[in-house]
Amino acid sequence: MRNGIRLIQNEWLKLTKKRSFWVPVSMMVLIAAMVTFMLYKFSSNLSEIDSAAAYLSGMMGASGLGQFVAILSIVGTAGIVAQEHAQGTIKFLLIRSRSRGEIFAAKYAAAVLYTLLMTLIAGVSMYAASGFMFGFGGTGAQWLDVLKESAYGLVYSIVYVTLAFMVGALTRSTGVAIGVGLAGTMFGSLMIFKDFYKYVLFPNVNLSVYDTVGPPLPGMSIGFSLVVLAVYMALFLVAGYTVFRRRDVA
Amino acid sequence: MTLTQSTKPRQAGGEEPVLRLQNVSKIIGRKKIVDQLSFDVRRGEIVGLLGPNGAGKTTTIRMMTGLIKISEGDVKIAGRSIQSQFKDAIVQVGAIIENPEFYPYMSGYDNLKQAARMTDSVTSERIAEVISLLGLQEALHKKVKAYSLGMRQRLGIAQALLDRPKLLILDEPTNGLDPAGIREMRDYLKKIAVSEGIAILVSSHLLSEIEQMCTRVVVIQNGRLVTERAIGAGGSGQERPELRLRVDNPARARQVLESLKGVQALDGREGEHEIICQAADEEMPALIDALRQAEVAIYRITETRKSLEDEFLQWTGGNQIA
Repeated sequence: MRNGIRLIQNEWLKLTKKRSFWVPVSMMVLIAAMVTFMLYKFSSNLSEIDSAAAYLSGMMGASGLGQFVAILSIVGTAGIVAQEHAQGTIKFLLIRSRSRGEIFAAKYAAAVLYTLLMTLIAGVSMYAASGFMFGFGGTGAQWLDVLKESAYGLVYSIVYVTLAFMVGALTRSTGVAIGVGLAGTMFGSLMIFKDFYKYVLFPNVNLSVYDTVGPPLPGMSIGFSLVVLAVYMALFLVAGYTVFRRRDVA
Repeated sequence: MTLTQSTKPRQAGGEEPVLRLQNVSKIIGRKKIVDQLSFDVRRGEIVGLLGPNGAGKTTTIRMMTGLIKISEGDVKIAGRSIQSQFKDAIVQVGAIIENPEFYPYMSGYDNLKQAARMTDSVTSERIAEVISLLGLQEALHKKVKAYSLGMRQRLGIAQALLDRPKLLILDEPTNGLDPAGIREMRDYLKKIAVSEGIAILVSSHLLSEIEQMCTRVVVIQNGRLVTERAIGAGGSGQERPELRLRVDNPARARQVLESLKGVQALDGREGEHEIICQAADEEMPALIDALRQAEVAIYRITETRKSLEDEFLQWTGGNQIA
């Protein structure tokens, strides 16, 4: 347990000690503030938003700022495996008394933590910005919605971060990992009205739709989507791990 | 320092070697990059791994450290298999493979902390100890990207020594060091080999470096063992060493030498007043007396020695060295 935490600490420091760490963080804050302000200024149907909590419950999911959270998290974490290969530090990492499985798990944990941090930053920034416009309050039910939407948003981001993480481990290329991750977030809005498509990853990622517009395709439910997502995530991780464990590091 | 003919005899029932390669092969496709390679490294030894370009040195070192899979055979570190007991085996090893690579945006100290967090027992006292051992105090809080190659090399050794390894594996340890740095590194490695009883395996393309540092060399070519030699500290160990005489009259000297029993006169560069002969130690007083009586003036007598480089080229057929 202690060993695992220290490995995660290592990975976290590698992510955050870079000066470029502050780019996605400050972008997140800026985007949250700007989007909130623009909506307040130019949107016409704000009548039902009476508090920061009501605003947040609409914005934390993938239909709100969730997509930005996903994109910035992908950019921040896609290199977590690939960079080690690019810098040659993979040799520094793999000749320790730690298994490749432990290292892979620590890296994934750090990527998930990073996504959590981005979600938190988005939430706090939007809360601060919207508080000035709609008031900082909110009813209990509204805050419950905020939590639910944040969880949906987090699931959305983590799925794509996992996809990018796997691609990074498979290709050892940060660029390809970011590209595939971003392309994934774009495919999310594409819908093919065929029955098989409900088993594809993309229509299942945005869980917020079940609370707003309803199932994307007939026969889908939130439980169905969660199972599909779990299967895909397991697949991504197993594929990434298998390659990472077996790879000859030349 | 010169080479003796035989390898150090294997002590029967002696202690377990720190590193043992048992018929190790690496096969990629149909090509055998490393072919049935076996050798041992014992406690306190500094062994040089030599071979021309593409001989399989780097592949061998990467198999020893678990970076690439072994196709056949096994590597044992202090008796533990790097394949089936990876953690127990690798914990005994400190290594720099090719260049010492670090996270450039972190300080030297942060990089050492990274390494320390991947061990079970390294304390901050041990980190401080290794830092002062390698003289890294001043550069400690600078980012590694601002380090010279020499500093990085030292930081590399520091991280390799952190967990008190039994075996230190160094790929080109003096690469990028200035002459003072090379000497310092050499003295330092010799010191820890003796004081800590560490076994050191060094690959280097600087043969003179290997010659001054190592107690033994393992030469490989095309993935196969070519020869394994001890490097002695004294003379050549040959019974009849080859001697180069510098005299005023080489023609006369040759006549004298040829008249002596047991002495063989070989070619010399007569124009440069040199003559080469082979003689045993006991024959030398008589040889010198005979030359003096014939009024040949002797300027110098030196033993001709083959350098490691000469021998290396002989073993490997003159290929270029990596």
